[in-house]
Amino acid sequence: MDVTLQILFSGLTLGAVYAVSTVGLALVFGALNMLNMAHGALLALGGYACMWAMQSLGLPAPLAALVAMAVGAAVGGAIFVLAARPMLGQEGFETRIFIATIGIGLVLENVIHKFFGPQPQAQPLKLDGGMMFGRVNLPWQNVLIFVTAVLMMVGVAMLLGRSRLGRAIRATSMNRDAAQLMGVPIRRIYALILMLSGALAALSGIMISSMSSLLPNMGADPMLKAFIICVVAGLGNVPGAAGVAFALGILEALIQYVFGVQYAFAILLCLVIVVLIWRPQGIFGEREVIRL
Amino acid sequence: MTLLQIENLIVSYGVQRVIKGISFSVAEGEFAALVGPNGHGKTTVLRAISGLVRAQSGGLHLAGRDITRLRPDRIVAEGVVHVPQGDLLFPGMSVLDNLRMGAYLPAAAAQESQRLEEVFSLLPKLRDRQQQIASTLSGGERRMVGIGRGLMAGGQILMLDEPSLGLAPIVIDQIYELVQTLARSGRTILVVEENAVRIADMADRMHLLDNGEITWSGSGQAFLSSPDIIATYLGG
Repeated sequence: MDVTLQILFSGLTLGAVYAVSTVGLALVFGALNMLNMAHGALLALGGYACMWAMQSLGLPAPLAALVAMAVGAAVGGAIFVLAARPMLGQEGFETRIFIATIGIGLVLENVIHKFFGPQPQAQPLKLDGGMMFGRVNLPWQNVLIFVTAVLMMVGVAMLLGRSRLGRAIRATSMNRDAAQLMGVPIRRIYALILMLSGALAALSGIMISSMSSLLPNMGADPMLKAFIICVVAGLGNVPGAAGVAFALGILEALIQYVFGVQYAFAILLCLVIVVLIWRPQGIFGEREVIRL
Repeated sequence: MTLLQIENLIVSYGVQRVIKGISFSVAEGEFAALVGPNGHGKTTVLRAISGLVRAQSGGLHLAGRDITRLRPDRIVAEGVVHVPQGDLLFPGMSVLDNLRMGAYLPAAAAQESQRLEEVFSLLPKLRDRQQQIASTLSGGERRMVGIGRGLMAGGQILMLDEPSLGLAPIVIDQIYELVQTLARSGRTILVVEENAVRIADMADRMHLLDNGEITWSGSGQAFLSSPDIIATYLGG
């Protein structure tokens, strides 16, 4: 029972972190057909921005987190203006923006490296202590991560499902031409999606760094996992990505317990391959029919 | 009074010139039809008017305002409503959300409830289907949602691209009954249609597009009574 609880707590925490970073990525791909390879750098930037806001500006933790999200949103918007917008509608957009965002990610990582140095640093936004469930300790930090992630998911779901802006985002993702014919300014919507994705990446970066430490390249591994989750869920499927993130988080915690930490990622990848052989379009993706 | 004026419009896809300098106009309250063989540029003309493809040269004016270089969303705001070929519904949204997307712009959103009632009174089937996901609708129902969504936008001119395409004859009759009702209510309509016979007795004015050029313009009755046109385009 204790082991099950421990795996569940770890898995839900991991899933919450993955969900927040994956949803942003899925939103961007769903709307723009764009794999944002700078997403990992945005995670790191968020973590560092929060630390800077708390330590240098002396802001309280919630405000520092908001500052970090604002920084993530601003950089996300800048990625649209400087890289995506000039390439939109051109032949090979997907490949070009893929390569461009690899470059942007490297630039961001180097900027972080230059300002904060290469050595690991501790994330000050961290709660100490925890509560006991039988003999299992549930750290407050994990509770904070889980609750924040769930609130963020609910917020994103409300935005997409209930608001006029959300309807415009969903419409743009489903059919770009039709959205334009309804009067949706799709370039503004794209910019907003990248800003939202940047803010979510920053929040995810704070969560990840609070569980480990801040490093300029700390976003690489979570970004890879976020891509895996996106592909398994079906590229661009936002609710599916959130569900798969939690499922994979729990699975990873289970594999770590049974086989050891070092095997977790490899076994996870094997499972992903099996899933993709079974459903190449992803669990929640729709099969694309190409008529010749 | 002329509402939509197309002057010497040229559209190319890459090096291929698809529309070769056409000019025609649609008067306010007129039911105009652009007819011609498949693949000769009819859809491209509508896409150029609504800004989905850029005109290489020429001018597009709506109620005297130049809309040639405006973005599609701005052209919609000016009053051009385009119901595209194949409906282009939002497949994962409900019928109701699809219709509400038609009233996305603030001016239309202010009258959303009223327009929704108007659409439901014209297309009562949609009232029963409003919670159904668009991708699960039949072809005829999808076409109705597409037209209903266009009506939600209001606008000054309604452009319908091949409203009968791929539908069963009985559904085509229903769709054209609706289009006629809209035309009689004084709405300005521009229909693109391959089936010229179907539209000729309804249209106030017809323009024949052949290989990217307007080769004939006149009334629907004149179209039907022209032996050359019938022989060339209707196989008579």
